[in-house]
Amino acid sequence: MKPKLIATGIGLCFCLYGCFPDRRYADTDTYVPVYMSPADKSNIFLANARTTEKSGKIYAFGNTIFQNDLNKGIHIIDNTNHADPKKIAFLNIPYNTEFAVKGNYIYANNVNDLVVIDIRDLNNPVVVKRIENAFPYINQEYPPQSGYFVCPDPAKGIVVDWELQTVKSPKCHR
Amino acid sequence: MNKLLLYMLLPVVLVTALRCEKASVASATTGSGGSTARFAIQGNYLYTVDKSSLKVFNIADIANPVLKNTVPVGFEIETIYPFKDKLFIGSTSVVHIFSIDNPENPEKLSTAISPDVIRRCDPVVAKDTVAFATLRTSGPCGGRFSVLAAYDIRDITNPVQKGTFPVSEPYGLGYSDTALYVCDRYGLLVFNIENAYTPQLRKTFTDGWYLDVIPYNNTLICQVQDGLTLYDITSCMKPTLITKIK
Repeated sequence: MKPKLIATGIGLCFCLYGCFPDRRYADTDTYVPVYMSPADKSNIFLANARTTEKSGKIYAFGNTIFQNDLNKGIHIIDNTNHADPKKIAFLNIPYNTEFAVKGNYIYANNVNDLVVIDIRDLNNPVVVKRIENAFPYINQEYPPQSGYFVCPDPAKGIVVDWELQTVKSPKCHR
Repeated sequence: MNKLLLYMLLPVVLVTALRCEKASVASATTGSGGSTARFAIQGNYLYTVDKSSLKVFNIADIANPVLKNTVPVGFEIETIYPFKDKLFIGSTSVVHIFSIDNPENPEKLSTAISPDVIRRCDPVVAKDTVAFATLRTSGPCGGRFSVLAAYDIRDITNPVQKGTFPVSEPYGLGYSDTALYVCDRYGLLVFNIENAYTPQLRKTFTDGWYLDVIPYNNTLICQVQDGLTLYDITSCMKPTLITKIK
């Protein structure tokens, strides 16, 4: 009789544990701050065309279409043949999210700086101007989405992104 | 003989009438951004919006932008859309309308408020007499339901919401002649806006998560979640797929 009772008790414990997960110990969808590594901030260069990772904003100029890849740079698409547009290159701009184009010049944010990139020779893009601290940092204290997040540590630097991950016992919430 | 000529010409006239006039003709020196952009170029000026302010850069010397002005706009600014001598600035609560008659000193004309939705995201586009905004209430924007809203802006100092259309989770938008393209979590919606204040839904493409659009000449450039989708919009109410670029 007794072993049966113990077994039932253990079973009940498991059930209760399973039925009432405790947030403090559970895996939770959580926004995790991504910090900027200062060393690679100004590493702007032309790379081969690549697959889009995080689809960002778009711009059209003449026969060229541009698309940001969040925090990575700008895809360049040749649309000279409207029936068959093709990716031709990727302009690496660390922590870029916004841009506009005029003539052969791209105005883009490089973290919080405004940079002007001369693409008259697309194979050799040149940063011709940089206005430092043109823009304020955003989303430093908490992610733009509501929910659980890992509390950012200012000592670790500037927050450039928030990534959704599964985290045990996140401390912050809004 | 004349009659024969008439019959021969009639189909040509009909086809021409059905094709859409392109409101925006892109020249060699003007580009175009999406409705969710924070950077916009109008003439010799680059306008940018951050969370609370509008910045004006003179780019007459194209390689050498010079910051000319910083204008406080409000809270939670998200987007900027230039149209002629106006800037339409979307925030999570209202649309701010600025005059750039004096391009270095944008002057606030009015604020468009939707009485239906308290808190939302507001990408906005405008034509001469109407402005359209999508008011999304999911995610960071709060609120309870999402709509496409049409504002009468004939009196630019007093924009009035004239009509709304429920949309599940809208993002950016753009127009070409009588067609309004609205991005949604569940597809691309094509509205007829011949009666601008009462958009009529005519077609839905349910092939992905659309985030923003640029109608550019005869091409509709769409930002989708995994890259780009391009449509031919020679016939603006009937977009036909050109390609998807990932």
